[in-house]
Amino acid sequence: MDMKVTGTLMQSYTICKRQVWLMAHQIIPDQEHPFIEMGRIIDDNSYDRDKKKLHFENVVIDLVRSDKDNFLVGEVKKSSKAEKSAKMQLLFYLYRLKQSGIIAKGQLFFPEERKRINVELTETNEKEILNAINEITDIIDREKAPDFVKIPYCKNCGYREFCMS
Amino acid sequence: MKKSIYIFSDGELHRKDNTLFFEGENGRKFIPVENTSEIMIFGEVSLNKRFLEFISQSEIILHFFNYYGYYVGSYYPREHLNSGYMILKQAEHYNDDNKRLYLAQKFIEGAYKNIRQVLKYYQNRDKDLEDIIYCIEKLGELINGTLSVNELMAIEGNIREYYYKSFDVILNNRDFEFDVRSKRPPKNSLNTLISFGNSLMYTTVLSEIYKTHLAPRIGYLHSTNFRRFSLNLDIAEIFKPIIIDRVIFSVVSKNMIKKDDFDDNAEGLILKERGKKIFIEEYVSKLTTTIKHRTIGNNVSYRRLIRLELYKLEKHLMEEQGYEPFLAQW
Ligand code: SF4
Repeated sequence: MDMKVTGTLMQSYTICKRQVWLMAHQIIPDQEHPFIEMGRIIDDNSYDRDKKKLHFENVVIDLVRSDKDNFLVGEVKKSSKAEKSAKMQLLFYLYRLKQSGIIAKGQLFFPEERKRINVELTETNEKEILNAINEITDIIDREKAPDFVKIPYCKNCGYREFCMS
Repeated sequence: MKKSIYIFSDGELHRKDNTLFFEGENGRKFIPVENTSEIMIFGEVSLNKRFLEFISQSEIILHFFNYYGYYVGSYYPREHLNSGYMILKQAEHYNDDNKRLYLAQKFIEGAYKNIRQVLKYYQNRDKDLEDIIYCIEKLGELINGTLSVNELMAIEGNIREYYYKSFDVILNNRDFEFDVRSKRPPKNSLNTLISFGNSLMYTTVLSEIYKTHLAPRIGYLHSTNFRRFSLNLDIAEIFKPIIIDRVIFSVVSKNMIKKDDFDDNAEGLILKERGKKIFIEEYVSKLTTTIKHRTIGNNVSYRRLIRLELYKLEKHLMEEQGYEPFLAQW
């Protein structure tokens, strides 16, 4: 299994393949970008009581809370607009946990919307994750970044000025 | 957008827990860490390691100028944006003579075209610059045919010689006659302004490079010796005519800086504090002026244009998009 794939890349994967390549080459966007700042602040302040960081292989999981028998992996997100990508990221963590023998369930938190969504690894979405991992590996191994093609997400993307300059 | 802080007074820079402040003759002034990208230090300032540690953590650059206003050096904290991939690409384009020459030519082409644009602006305002523009255009045509960086530098030198002649025509002010370009030390007011302005430009570009994945010690036009910063000098060539020279024209022609703002000194003619402050104010207002950007689709400041130039260079190194320098449209 290729360990180059991370949860962040999985999240980008559902948004933009170019972003995956750039991130994997450590070309990360300018941190002054207001949306990135916002993400950071939410990360720092919300759900403080439960906050734990789990370093798992090359993956850092934002928040873990377990009641007696069950592991619950949580991810805090800014808005449910990017629900699909948040879900893929979480499924990826669940998949990695399963590989090391830990069966866990997941939950997405959207503190600003006071919303929680349960995420579980099933046969179908496990296949989806496997496919995604393979494709991400292919993208990263490419000599050049996938071309810039404008999509609606570009408007809010940290790479916007990089891609459009 | 984060801000630049300019310190003219003498005093001490301090860190207290997670805040920074400057203690000078006029009391204590706090420095907003989250909002500051660079501190430009003109006064006699002392600081300690605890301060530097916090500055590094906060990704703030320090630029030092000596008493005369000359650039001394920068405290460039450990790069926080690191990409092994980008550094390799940058080195590859340096080591390959053709690739290096291509970029060097593009930087000079950008400088040349922006110089011409500045001159055309004044020609339209009835300044007699026809001959100078003609000579510069003849030289400009030679840029793309040069076979080495040295040959290119020679052409650039010739262009600049003609260009500086135009300053007398544009300013037409006996207190600010150009005569000859003298750098160390600058022998007349105009040379002093040019040197001062250019060092500001170099530090601004360096601070922008810090926000990218580019290594500032690998330049293409200005030869790299891996010790000094040189990429900032390269990129500054493009912006000097449209930022620094325009600031010079405006402070002189509006009489904002006058003859008695200079002091004769063993180090040459130096700009007094009042003059430095006026110059910097004009400079900062130029950097924050916005223009409509064609591909980004909204207004960007001149300072941002410098960043975008660096992004374009990165994409050139990634072999995505051939680098073309920014050209002023007016
Ligand atoms: S700006 Fe658009 S193309 Fe570029 S990385 Fe972001 S989403 Fe992808």
